Amino acid sequence: MTNTEIRPVGPEPARTRKSRRNRRTGQTRKASESTAATTIRTRGTRLLAVLFLAPTVVGIVVFTVVPIVGSVVLSLFQWDVIDDPRWAGAANYREILTDSTVLVSFRNTLVFMVLAVALQLLIALVLAIAVNGRMPKWLRSVFRSAFFFPLVLSAASISVVMKYLFNQDFGPVNWLLGTVGIPSVPWLTSENGAMAAVVLAYVWQQFGFSFLLFVGGLNNIPKEVHEAASLDGASGVRKHLAITLPLLSPTLLVASVVGIINALQVFEQPYVLTAGGPGDSTRTVVMVIYETAFEQLRFGEASAVGVLLFALIMAVTALQFRLSRRYVHYQ
Amino acid sequence: MPGPRTSPTASRVRHGLAPWGRIAGLALCALLTLGPVIWTVSTSLRTPAESFDLPPEIIPTNPTVDAYRGVFDQIDVWLYALNSTLVTALIAAGQMITAGLAGYAFARLEFRFKKPLFALVLATMMVPLQVTMVPVFLELKTMGLTDTLLGLIVPAFPTAFGTFLMRQYFLGMPKDLGEAAMIDGAGPWRVFRSVYAPLAAPGLAIVGVLAFNYHWNEFFRPLILETSTENLTLPLGLVSLQGNLGTGSISVVLAGVVLSMIPAVVVFVVGQRPLREGITSAGVNR
Amino acid sequence: MTDSLLSRRALMRYGAYGAGAAALAGVAAGWDRLTAADIPGRDDGSLVIATLGSAFNPEAQRALRDGFREVHPDIRIRINPVQAYDWSDFFSKILTQIAAGTAPDLVYVATEGVQLFAQRLGVPLDRWAKRDAAELRTYFADVHPSLVESMMYEGSLYQLPVEFNAADMYVNSRVLERAGADLPDDDWTHDDFTTLLRAMKRSNGDRFTPYFWTNRLWGGVVPWLFANDTNLLTESKAPGGDWLWNSFYPEAQRRGRGGGYRWTTPLADSDRVAEVYDYLSSLVQEDLCTRPEGGDGRNLVGVFSTGRVGVTPAGGFWAGGLHEAGMKPADYDVRYFPRWRTRRHQFGAAGYAMLRTSTMRDEAWEFIKYTARKDVMTQLFAANQTTPARRSMVDEARYRETGPAHWQVFYDTLDKIPTTGPIPAPPQVNEVEQLLIKHTGTALASPGVVRPALRRLQGDLEQAMEREV
Repeated sequence: MTNTEIRPVGPEPARTRKSRRNRRTGQTRKASESTAATTIRTRGTRLLAVLFLAPTVVGIVVFTVVPIVGSVVLSLFQWDVIDDPRWAGAANYREILTDSTVLVSFRNTLVFMVLAVALQLLIALVLAIAVNGRMPKWLRSVFRSAFFFPLVLSAASISVVMKYLFNQDFGPVNWLLGTVGIPSVPWLTSENGAMAAVVLAYVWQQFGFSFLLFVGGLNNIPKEVHEAASLDGASGVRKHLAITLPLLSPTLLVASVVGIINALQVFEQPYVLTAGGPGDSTRTVVMVIYETAFEQLRFGEASAVGVLLFALIMAVTALQFRLSRRYVHYQ
Repeated sequence: MPGPRTSPTASRVRHGLAPWGRIAGLALCALLTLGPVIWTVSTSLRTPAESFDLPPEIIPTNPTVDAYRGVFDQIDVWLYALNSTLVTALIAAGQMITAGLAGYAFARLEFRFKKPLFALVLATMMVPLQVTMVPVFLELKTMGLTDTLLGLIVPAFPTAFGTFLMRQYFLGMPKDLGEAAMIDGAGPWRVFRSVYAPLAAPGLAIVGVLAFNYHWNEFFRPLILETSTENLTLPLGLVSLQGNLGTGSISVVLAGVVLSMIPAVVVFVVGQRPLREGITSAGVNR
Repeated sequence: MTDSLLSRRALMRYGAYGAGAAALAGVAAGWDRLTAADIPGRDDGSLVIATLGSAFNPEAQRALRDGFREVHPDIRIRINPVQAYDWSDFFSKILTQIAAGTAPDLVYVATEGVQLFAQRLGVPLDRWAKRDAAELRTYFADVHPSLVESMMYEGSLYQLPVEFNAADMYVNSRVLERAGADLPDDDWTHDDFTTLLRAMKRSNGDRFTPYFWTNRLWGGVVPWLFANDTNLLTESKAPGGDWLWNSFYPEAQRRGRGGGYRWTTPLADSDRVAEVYDYLSSLVQEDLCTRPEGGDGRNLVGVFSTGRVGVTPAGGFWAGGLHEAGMKPADYDVRYFPRWRTRRHQFGAAGYAMLRTSTMRDEAWEFIKYTARKDVMTQLFAANQTTPARRSMVDEARYRETGPAHWQVFYDTLDKIPTTGPIPAPPQVNEVEQLLIKHTGTALASPGVVRPALRRLQGDLEQAMEREV
């Protein structure tokens, strides 16, 4: 596969050529267009827009907007599904804000997010730059496929596998570390080990996403920029820090926005690997929502936690776009 | 243009590391990335007694498919595969339609509230599934769709990412194509139908492959929605292989994992390019 | 160029038409599948029975259904094996079904959920048990009263126990041999236990852990609490239940029985509980025991059958599992749980509970009675995936092929140790179990944190127990 295959999505060059021809033949008629026709056309356009948007917008309203409002309403009630809901006002929020498990889960989620996103971006960036270097085409495509492969697997079943791999006494991970002289790590049964295992399992599966973004981004950087830099004597790491990174900053923004939104919603890995333990050390917000709602049937409190999580995600994303205005360079 | 780009010095300058060192490093990383998958396949082919052998025998001396037989004995793999296929295929088809139409409207049609509507669509990407799950569940109950496959399919039709992707895709097509057709007297429907829609197939393929990949592996929604055994999808059906109170066999569990990977691997091989492009396009700034 | 473009476009168009047609055909053909209308017994007035999917194999489920149809051709039934990996997961699925308006009539419920279901959703079986007393006499004569008592709540009977599992101790013969130790005797203490673990550790090298256990309500810390004459929650008995004891059990077995257990004030900050955690913590520090892993113990069969683990607590359910993993009867054996202040063991039992939402209660009762029959249970439990609740079924023939040699231990845990009782499972069980697992994990994760962790456990349990369920 060639580099040029990773290109921004869009029609092929042949069509562009054809379009130019069309325009040329069309230009002669432009003058004869009447205002009446334009009005009809605008009306037609509006009707078409309504028809085209209906499935998506109706779907989003029914299955996202209304449920969000529903969650907010539900968060003001006490409800266990079986009996009728009872008004609770702000009591649910008071309760969750004093509940140590809920507070810890928010801390864990933020810690997880920072570790996972940083590690994921770093690995992806280094590998993308390395893969972008000179090598036989087939080799590049092998590497690209390998790094991207975990992305197509199911997070739930791969976490089952990870649980075996990370077993302290019988798992291959500790065996592998042992061969290079690192003593056995209590991955799933100590607080720091468990967080590390969850982060690693998550990053293992997710870094391919950022990796592909970076490969695409690097391909968009004109070759001349690199070559000019090389002529100026910039080399290795310095060159990448000074030149590649700023040019890649729009891609970095997208990778980190998507990475953060996903990381804040992490569920399968801690759920399967550690069940949130030991203690609460890997219990994430989404796990708390699931447990409160579907295991303890406290749907009011669960909704309240959900509303807080939603607010957090919006706040973080808004903050990012704010910061990006200062640090992201568009070509 | 500077000197010959193939010279070793130039490349060392460009990448800071000798190509062979870099390639060896990449190879190691690739091995680490594929390691868990290799271990899974290999362990599923060993007997349960050999599951925890260290170092693991990557190529089993006495390979056995007993574990796979065990999977088929214990759960109705074919039924679950049918369910998974129905669900993913219909969601993929549905998303291609909704995303294709909405993406086109956002890219090429002028109407009021376009910006806020688009922002609304994008904002739904930020909504965690778990936040909306309970109300969605209640809605499905009033529609009589709980514990049906349709209950999984219908709410998944609207896709924010797919819409975003198709909008980008249509924006990437030259505007003058449509203008020319309009001048020729084509109405907005004709412009869409005969100019832009035929060009959209590769973009739609991306949406379809992404949808397939996501929903084939989906765990949380079916976990909550499907309660009859007959309605389980493959990832959920495999949960039961774990046995009650730890009596399941690890080889059988891993054989189940391998079986559920197969379609994903097929999509990976056949649809790698659209998948890659789908992901890459998210990073392209227009 | 244009030509090839057109043909490609045409190709794509036909391709799209083809795909569309295929999709339509697929939807039409699969419509019943999509709406679940093809599931026999759905919404057609069948008696619906929810079982824990992984507990019985598909053949056993089919046999159960077909057998019942033969006896009661007039009652349509549907068995829905719910896929879940443990009891609390199973209960949340059932509660979800109730929320979805697709509640079953009968639910297979273990001790973990007896009171949860009894209090909120269950129908007492007293009326029918009294009516059909004559028919049930042989059943009760064959089932230990402790099992029956664990299925009672506030004086009423909610289930007929069909299976149970007490936490006895499985020992790996090969590991024992390498350690040069004998099979522990019936009266072994927790000090004997420690000595045995040390001997095993010395002789079995790296990558070996003498004692493996899973952090959960059944078989985790609780058996040690029972052995040390304490509990997680204060245990007492509800009054009532005489109607049952007087009509089915002889004087000697009635004594001290009541109307079911009550679990109330948490005991996590008591000295005896701390003693147990200190002991387990010392085992962890000495590398004699695995750190408590949360969840399902899925690794267990593999590591035990390959001699990477020496001893582990399990019940009769494990005989079948080890047999399937290729262990011969001589490769392992079973002993009582080590004695400490008492010999008291813990168990969990299971049976079918009738839901209040059911409109087919008489039919449901017929099914409950049917599953308590000896021939039915014999067929269902052929693979030794659990211990039958009927004493007469726990016999030589059952364990000849799978082992263990000392299979008598399974029922003797009830017969010879009359104080043996159920795991503490009040209606707030889901939260109690979650808190236990969580704080046990912290208490044993590093040295010297037992007491603060237990204090937090106590505080959280108090809060959970106050909550109305």
